[in-house]
Amino acid sequence: MSGDPIARPEPLSLVAEQRAAANTAASALTHGHPSSATPPAVTLEGVQVSFGDHVAVRNVTLAIPARQVTALIGPSGCGKTTLLRAINRLHDHTGGSVEGSIKLGDIDVYGADTRPELIRRRIGMVFQRPNPFPAMSVFENVVSGLRFNGVRGRALLRDAAESALHHAALWDTVKDRLNQPAVGLSGGQQQRLCIARALAVEPEVLLMDEPCSALDPIATAKIENLITRLAADVTIVLVTHNMFQAARVSDQAAVFLLGEDRVGELVEAGATDELFHEPKNPRTRDYVAGRVG
Amino acid sequence: MTVASALSRRGLVRAAAQRSLTRRRITGRLAQALCAVAAVASVAPLVALLYYTISRGAQVLSWSFLVNAPTPPGIPGGGISTAITGSAEIVGLALVIAIPIALLAALFLFERSGRLAAALRFSADVLAGVPSIIIGIFAYALLVLPLHAFSNLAAAFALAVLMLPIMIRADEEAMRTIALDLWEAGIALGARRGRVARSVVLRGALPDLVTGNLLAIARAVGETAPLLFTLATPVAAMTLLIYTDGTQAFPIAQETAWGTALVLLAFVLLLSVAAKIAAWRISRRAR
Amino acid sequence: MSSDTTGVLPREGVAVSGVRAALLQKRTRLGEHAYTVVRWGGAAVFAAVVVALLISVAGSSSQALTRSGVGFLWSGTWNPAAGEYGAGILVVGTLLTTAVAMVIVVPIGLGTAAFLSELAPGWLAGPLSTLIGLLAAVPSIVVGLWGLIVLTPIFANQVEPFLASMPLLGWLFRGEAYGPSVLLASVVLAVMTLPTMVALSRTALAAVPVADREAALALGATRWQAVRKAVIPAARSGIQAAVTLAVGRAMGESIAVAMVIGNRPALPTSLTAPGATLGSAIVNQFAEASPGLGTSSVIALGAVLLLLTVAVNAGGQALLRSGGGHRAGTAGALR
Repeated sequence: MSGDPIARPEPLSLVAEQRAAANTAASALTHGHPSSATPPAVTLEGVQVSFGDHVAVRNVTLAIPARQVTALIGPSGCGKTTLLRAINRLHDHTGGSVEGSIKLGDIDVYGADTRPELIRRRIGMVFQRPNPFPAMSVFENVVSGLRFNGVRGRALLRDAAESALHHAALWDTVKDRLNQPAVGLSGGQQQRLCIARALAVEPEVLLMDEPCSALDPIATAKIENLITRLAADVTIVLVTHNMFQAARVSDQAAVFLLGEDRVGELVEAGATDELFHEPKNPRTRDYVAGRVG
Repeated sequence: MTVASALSRRGLVRAAAQRSLTRRRITGRLAQALCAVAAVASVAPLVALLYYTISRGAQVLSWSFLVNAPTPPGIPGGGISTAITGSAEIVGLALVIAIPIALLAALFLFERSGRLAAALRFSADVLAGVPSIIIGIFAYALLVLPLHAFSNLAAAFALAVLMLPIMIRADEEAMRTIALDLWEAGIALGARRGRVARSVVLRGALPDLVTGNLLAIARAVGETAPLLFTLATPVAAMTLLIYTDGTQAFPIAQETAWGTALVLLAFVLLLSVAAKIAAWRISRRAR
Repeated sequence: MSSDTTGVLPREGVAVSGVRAALLQKRTRLGEHAYTVVRWGGAAVFAAVVVALLISVAGSSSQALTRSGVGFLWSGTWNPAAGEYGAGILVVGTLLTTAVAMVIVVPIGLGTAAFLSELAPGWLAGPLSTLIGLLAAVPSIVVGLWGLIVLTPIFANQVEPFLASMPLLGWLFRGEAYGPSVLLASVVLAVMTLPTMVALSRTALAAVPVADREAALALGATRWQAVRKAVIPAARSGIQAAVTLAVGRAMGESIAVAMVIGNRPALPTSLTAPGATLGSAIVNQFAEASPGLGTSSVIALGAVLLLLTVAVNAGGQALLRSGGGHRAGTAGALR
């Protein structure tokens, strides 16, 4: 495996440094000051994603800051989900193509030396409809990602599962029914289970594709709370067509709208507060005011 | 849970993911290769069957083989014409019996829902799974034993019973796919049910009905076991002829068996392919 | 005369004129009743056929069954010459050949289904699966002929000696090997049930939602890991249905087996020895059975076979129908 750019582990001291910086950034944000101290977790430059001949979204240049919640908002059909799926290379399986550059830190996600399986461990995903594996129990679902990645040892798996379930605010609910089928949980619980499953493999980035759209308001509120807490450890990219959700939950937002030729494009990106109250682009203003989309 | 243990777990997972990747990829490629081998193994029998049937049957096949009647053993120039016409007669008779009953039963299922219809559907599915030899015994017990005589009618009856469940399900399927909204529109406008059924449902679903029944015909032509119990002489049908001649030790008899097998196989495969093409064209139109 | 009704109905000219014609017909109670009677008639005839089947098979086997009682089922001797009729040994033969056939069919069928559904490129999967499906159309007599004339010498001279020399499993294949054998019959059964297994398994695998596969991939699984751990387990009940229905088909196959199994109703000492199954015994014994008890006993074998296959097929159909209801909706149990 010589020359594998993902092979270098981060030294512990650097990690601690990054966390301290992130914490400062987070506290700065609550006072409305964006931080430029940490490098972005994911960088997109000139990205265009197509299905065969049909272009879904084009010319996206965006920096996703680390350990914050970035929302991709806009009406449906603008390519937000397609873009998201291009970030963790899930788009590979749809027979489409991706142009431009997507980087996780320094690593080119689509580089010739890059292994999709390793990228997908580092960039996790939560889908629109909860999709726990139906043939597995709650516990098996949570540790399924670890098992896929070759992690063994019952004690380690148990600890990881407990930690992930705590992070997903699900531990108390399921701690007595870890061995029961996962499909027996309610919709909101299943979605939190999927979040726990994604967290268990220790990703750096978590992509969430309209995670609350199939859920009722109470379950939605629980997950929105969760998202804000999770951002302390994991960079979150959230696709949502609900502007209010974006306003509640995200630190930075990017607006996507349909161009003239029915191709999605990035219209404006910036701190959420600024975007909603003082948008620079007239199209953003129209969208935020509800006049468009 | 301390920060340190959380961080070490992160490193552990990362290391395990990298370390296991090569092994996982190799295992995956191996498994995919094995599956491809399995797929080849699934096609191999058909290829082998075609190869042997064609190569051995073609040696005997000729116009006179098809057109001449069988001659007593030792006398050259015989053919299998009686077997071919016999099979055609029996299957034709079976169709005359089965098609109307299947259509009516399918109309019944199409219109009604509820436990009676569900029971009927379930028993059709179960009957479809009954081995053909049992159906042969049934025809024997019903038509041969009491009359003390083998007959084409008994054979046709057996084949009809064989085809009935397949045709009923195929007919109902055709009606549901094609004609359901037409039927409801007709009924909603106040037309008489029988009339709507005839004018709208059957005419609209006709192509699908024909297709579904083609496969049933293909299956009936190829059956041997029911004929064993209902027919007197092997030359009365192709499949029976293959069985009787094929199990004899004489090369000439075996040659005849191969020739007949080739004719039968060609007919059945052509019918199946035609049915598939027709079904594909219909589904394309529906889209 | 304008067609006022065309706005309501879809494009088909035939349908429109058909409905118009139906509407213009005078509505008579008699006509309506006649149609209903005729429909019920069709259903009734079918029901009558099913019932008649059961009664006639049961009736004709009554002579044999009343003589031996329920012991007929497991009495181990089938020796018409000695007047002894017992189905037991034949049931064993049926189960044995079916089991060996399944050992061959299930891995190959499942692997093929996985290949077609998950791993093959799009342009290959369609034609390939059609080709495999064509095998199902081949009449069993042709498969039997091929097995008898082509496979028997190959098995006797090459395959069986090779298998007998295998290190671990060789003992299964040692013993007399002059051609017709349980093994050959099992292979023929495997060839005949393979299309069923492949088609049903493929349907089961394709029915697994894409979301399950993507969930596995999104965690860092390789494609094969996703198939093995996420897709196949989710398709479990569909695959069980496929196996069950293949078993039912194998148990009922008679002609092809009769031609290659050697017609010896005794416990085979190895897989290469001749044997007999219910189906093969019926085929082989019917012509020579003495009228009365002999014929009745052969028919009674049919009754036993009917019971077996109906039970298995009903189970398989039930599995097929219940297969879909795995995934609870998002409004599952109480929060």
